[in-house]
Order: sequence, then C-alpha cells, then structure tokens
Amino acid sequence: MARQQGWFALILALAIAAGSVLLSFPMELGLDLRGGSQLLLEVQPAGEITKITPKELELVKAVLDLRVNGLGVAESTLQTVGDDQLVLQLPGETDPSRAAKTLGETALLEFRAQTPDSQEEMQGLLRLRAQVRSILELKQQREETDPESALNAEELAKAQKALGLDASAGNEQEQLEQLLNKVNGQIAARFEPAAFNGKLLERAGRRLNDQTSNWAVTLTFDAEGSQAFADLTQSIAGTGRLLGIFLDGRPISEASVGPKYEVAGITGGNAEITGNFTAEEARDLEVKLNGGALPLPVKILQVRTIGPSLGAENVQRSLLAALSGLALVAVFMLLIYRLAGLVAVVALSLYALFNLAVYALIPVTLTLPGIAGFILSIGMAVDANVLIFERIKDELRRGNTLIRSIETGFSQAFSSIIDGHLTTLISCVALFTLGTGLVKGFAATLGIGVVLSLFTALTCTRTLLRFLMSYQGLRRPTNFLPQRQLPTQSV
Amino acid sequence: MIALNLSRSRRRVWWISLLLVGFSIAGLVLCWTNPAIKAPLRPGLDFTGGTQIQLERSCEQACSALQASVVEKALIASPLDADGETPSPNLDSARVQLLDGGKSVVLRLPTLTAGQSQAVIEAVAPVAGPFLEGGQSVDTIGPSLGSQLLISSLTSLGVAFAGIALYISFRYDGRYAVLALLALAHDVVIVSGVFAWLGLAIGLEVNSLFAVALLTIAGYSVNDTVVVFDRIREKQRENADLPITDQVDRAVSATLTRTLYTSGTTLLPLVALILFGGSTLYWFAIALALGVIVGSWSSIALAPSLLTIWSRRSPSTASA
Repeated sequence: MARQQGWFALILALAIAAGSVLLSFPMELGLDLRGGSQLLLEVQPAGEITKITPKELELVKAVLDLRVNGLGVAESTLQTVGDDQLVLQLPGETDPSRAAKTLGETALLEFRAQTPDSQEEMQGLLRLRAQVRSILELKQQREETDPESALNAEELAKAQKALGLDASAGNEQEQLEQLLNKVNGQIAARFEPAAFNGKLLERAGRRLNDQTSNWAVTLTFDAEGSQAFADLTQSIAGTGRLLGIFLDGRPISEASVGPKYEVAGITGGNAEITGNFTAEEARDLEVKLNGGALPLPVKILQVRTIGPSLGAENVQRSLLAALSGLALVAVFMLLIYRLAGLVAVVALSLYALFNLAVYALIPVTLTLPGIAGFILSIGMAVDANVLIFERIKDELRRGNTLIRSIETGFSQAFSSIIDGHLTTLISCVALFTLGTGLVKGFAATLGIGVVLSLFTALTCTRTLLRFLMSYQGLRRPTNFLPQRQLPTQSV
Repeated sequence: MIALNLSRSRRRVWWISLLLVGFSIAGLVLCWTNPAIKAPLRPGLDFTGGTQIQLERSCEQACSALQASVVEKALIASPLDADGETPSPNLDSARVQLLDGGKSVVLRLPTLTAGQSQAVIEAVAPVAGPFLEGGQSVDTIGPSLGSQLLISSLTSLGVAFAGIALYISFRYDGRYAVLALLALAHDVVIVSGVFAWLGLAIGLEVNSLFAVALLTIAGYSVNDTVVVFDRIREKQRENADLPITDQVDRAVSATLTRTLYTSGTTLLPLVALILFGGSTLYWFAIALALGVIVGSWSSIALAPSLLTIWSRRSPSTASA
C-alpha cells in the first residue's frame, strides 16, 4: 500500500511539473505551422578541397552567420545539417529572394589593374554597357514606352553580332541582359589577374552621395591592404588604365587613377565603390564584405516558403483532428471498458500532457509530420491499455477474483507490450539517426511517444486502477464487463 | 469469446493476400512501364526536384470561373529572366492545378530561384489574382535533394528492418522474424500498389510524407504481428500437446478482440485527420489508414496461418 502511494505521489508530481513546464516554456512551432521561409544550403567542394569536413562547414557557417544577422529577420536560425549542409529558417519572411541572394554569393572582392594597351576597346565596351544599362532601367521604369529610342535596333543588332550573340533567342529583356553579361565578361577579360582581394579589408561601410543621391560602399584596408592598394594604384596612375573592383568575378566598379598618384599611389588605406547602389544594395554589399568571402561556394538546394495564414490554418486543422480523434478514442474506451476505460482516459490525458511537456523541454520543434507522429503514438498508447484490459476481462471470464484478474492482466500483457513498443522504438531510432527533415521530426515525436506510452501504461494505468480498487464500492466485476459475460460462480 | 477457425480457411486467406499483392504489383509494374512515369510510383516534387507554388485566391463567388488553361497561358506568355547563374527556365512543362473549386492554385514548375518564383507569382496575378495576403507557399527542391531523400529513406528502412528482425529472432526465433517481415512486406507492397494505381488513375504523386507513411506502416505492422506471435508462443507453452493449428487458432481467437479494438482506435484519429486535417495530411492519413487495415489482416490471418505450415515441417520446435 505504501509503495502504491509512492507511485501515486510521483505521478501527481510529474503531472504538476509537466503542467508548469508547458506554462513556462513556449512550444516551438515549425515553419509549416507558423509561416516563414526555410533555405537549405549545401557547401560545394572547390579547388583543393574535394570533401567537406565539419571544420570547413563551421568556417562557412561563421561567415553566413554574419550575413544572416545582417538580414535583420527576427529569430532567424542557421544550423548545420549532416556533413555539408546548412539550414536557414526565417520565421515570418515570405519573400526569401533577398536572403537567397545574400547567402548564395561567395562575395570574393578582387582588385585588378587593366591590361596595357586596351584603353580604346575598354572605352567602347564601357559606353556600350552604359547604353544597355540605361535601356534596361528605362524598360523597368516605363514598361509601356518604347525603349528603342535610346539605342536603335540597328545598333543593338550590330553589338549583338560583334559579341557573337543570337539575336533571335528569347525576348527583348533577355537579350539585353545577355548582352549586359557578355559586355561585362569582355570588360573582365581586359583586366589582369587579381592584385589582391577582400581578405586585406579591415571593414566596409556605406555613404550617401549628396550630389547623385546614390549610395556608395566605403572600404578601409588593413596595413598590408593599404600598401597593396597604393602599389596597385601607383602602377596604373596616369596611364589611362583603369582600376577594376570585382565581386565574384563580375566588375562592379571601374575607376581611373589620376597622374598625381604616379609617385606613391593612393595611400591612406581608404577606397570607395561608387556603383550607383540603392540603399538596400549598399547595405547588402556592406554586410557581405564585412562578413568576408565564403571559403567555399554554397548552393541553394531547397527553398520552402509558407504564408502565415496557411500556417495558422494547418495548426487549427491538425489540432482539431487531434482533439476529435482523442475524444472519439475516449468515448470508445468508456463504452467498452467502463471503469477501466475511465482509468485509461485519465492515463491517456496524462500521457498527452507528458508528451507535450517533453516537446517543450527538449525542445522538439512541432511540424505537421511531428503532429502526425504524435497522433499515431496515441494509437499505440491506447493499444497498451487495450492489451491489459482484454487480459483482465479474460481472467474475469475464467472466474478469477477482480484483484487477482487485474494483477494477472498486467503481468501477462507485459511481454507483448514490451515487444510491440521496442520494435517500434527500433524503427524510430533508425529513422531518426538516418532519416532527414520530415522523417526525423516524425521519428522524434513517435519515439518520445513510445517511451512515454510504456511508462504511462505500466505505471499510471496500474496505479490509478489499484487506487480505485482500494474503495470497496468500486470493487465490482460489473464495473469492468457486462454481467452476462461473467461466470455464475463469480465473487 | 469468438472461436476462430483460421486453419480451416487458411487457403482462402492465402488466396486473398496473393490476389491483393498481385493486384498491387501489377499497379507498380504498370506505373514503371508507363512512359510518363517510369517509376513504380508517380514521384512528386520531393523526389524529382522543382518548384511548387500554392496560392490562396481571394475570389469569393467567382472562384470557379477560373480555368487552369488560362493560368497556364499567362505563365508561358511571360518568360522569366535569368537570375544570377541560373539560366532562364523553360516553362513549357509547367502544370497548373486548381484546388477547392478554384480557391487555390497550385503551380508545378521546373526548379526556380527565389527571385524567379516571385516573378511567376506576379505573372499569374493578373489572371488568377488577387491572392490572399500570407496565403502562399513556395517549395523549391533541388534535384539532388530528391535522391538524397530516397537514399536516406531506404537506408533507414533497411536498418529498421534488420533491427526488428534481430530483435524478434532474439525474443522468439528466426521463423517468427521471417514471417513478421513477410507480413510487413505484404502491407507495404499493398499500400504502395494502391498508390501506384491512384497515380495511374488520377495522377496522384507520392511525396516524402508518403515515405514517412510507409515507414510508419512498417512499424505498426510489426507491432501488431508481434502481439499475436506473443500469444501463440504462450499457447504453445500452455497446450504443448495440441497440434500447431489448434494452438494458432486459440491464440488468434484470444487476440482478435484486441487487434480489432486497437486497429479501430488507431483508425479513429486517422479518420479525424482525413476529415479535418487539411490537404497537406489528407493522402498521408489515407495511406496510414489503409496500412492499419491491411496490417490487421496480415497479423490476424496471414502471418499466423503461414506459421502453421512452417511449424509442421519441424514439429520439434513446437515446444520452444
């Protein structure tokens, strides 16, 4: 009797603890339940590195962390997955295109000098690029007006032919963008290999140009970088050759260096990229440059976006399904098992409470498959109770006393409950350790459910049943099964 | 208690299971040989890679007026720009589906970048819009992710099977393990077969949730079968002098109520999910419900009846 009271106290204490855990720890909802974006990135091997190790993954993550913080999305998280993947969650963000762009770029800043004797070609290319850009801008500003006025069709065709582009492919916009890319490629080809890169950068900033109302990105070099920058500018000063600043191989700025720098180059360790940036572009570039270049390129494998109202709808529907399913099970148990059914309903309610508390504690992020796993684990918890009660009924039908029937019922059902739960647990462990994403979430909730179900069926149901049996008035076999099924010689 | 005479009708049991499995394998093979599918099941976005955009429309009464072909035309008429290194995608293979009487639009597209997906939404907005604020979801899955998912699902399934087989061999013996896995394969094949037929008939695609469902069915099936096996072992101990057919009959009769009740109580939440769970979990719940029903059949009828022939060949193990 004392032992039984001990169990009873333990269950009560656990229930209170679980309740307070639920009140103080918020449940973590997955993005499919509350809306937001999720990006899955894979680090690509490059150069000498043929296989990604956790060390490289951490290096990439450190850089991306800085960029993610720069995005300014509340509660965003970046986690490593497996050996070479990272998952970024942006709750509430429904347009992940900016995040994708900011994260996906290597952001390798390079400083290059123009090759000698290419000044004339370069001027032509720069003029052409300026024209194409202005057409594209005009097109974006006034889709309806005819942008051909800035560059006539003949000139465009000539430029395309000169650059070896197929004038018939794609629509106008595409053709123009292709042209722009090609011109940029040609410009890049007229620069020497990088003299130095963004590693020598101390920090980047941004500044609003009062005259043009465009944003510029300011660069501050470290000591070595200041020297390299001075050397580079000195070598081209006064020659008419340009200084090119490249981001991931694309020219973002070209500047001429005046003859007054012929002696020492541009010293002081400061430079500015005046690339006609908007405030947002300048900020993104600043964030990328301050975060540094990615040691390895990353590829975006998956982008999932779910709107917040879709998420809310999912929560409501799944919750409704879970609750109505539970209500139906409760009614069923009460009808079939009477008093024992009542015990099972209480035990199963405790089971649900414990489950939710464990989710909040670990914490398990609740996703749709996770909820499905939870609902299914309820089915297994019920199975344990059904197994026990069927055994008790069997014993009663054989004419055993109630107390003895209950004890035998528990001990006989024990081995099949253990076997059933352990086999399910084995698959949960396999799915959790080897599976990915959805499968993992499902295995987690089902696994927790199976362990807790073992506990509640073997302790809660048993203790509650014994507790009720200590009342003489309840100790009647008809509280467990109909009179007609009892043998006549019964107690 | 219902006294079941399983041994007498075991031939009928085998025929039913054989027919069901044959029907399922036929569906899987037909799917495989279908030039449009070329896989045992019609693979969804999760396995093929691509972008799926779902948009909730704010249209009230006029929802049903929209036709998928109109959206498709708008899509093809507005080609996308190249985004960074990703070239401009070919939208000819894009498919448009209307759900809930036109209340939501699903677009299935080749893999797009996040920027291109936004462009697609803007392109169809004139014909299908306006859309509900916050009622859109965009899924983009790279092609390599699909094969990763398939491989990780299959390995985890293989390891789970091996673990279960080992456990049952340890707790019972090798024959029970083989039969439990046979019953499990029977359940998984039949559910897959039904979905293969659904793929052929109504173009239903399987996603990663279906893989989860199959894994669950596997776990449930073993759990269900093990309880019956546990009772058979108990009856063998109690009535060692009876023939194996009687032992099995008694064990199955004794567990019949439990198996039906448990299947029933597991089906209740699943039925609730089918009715109220929303479109995301609809087919998932159907697959699970089907698995529970087939799983009960295999653990009540198929696995025990197979045990009777196997044991007859080695009567010495009956006292194990």
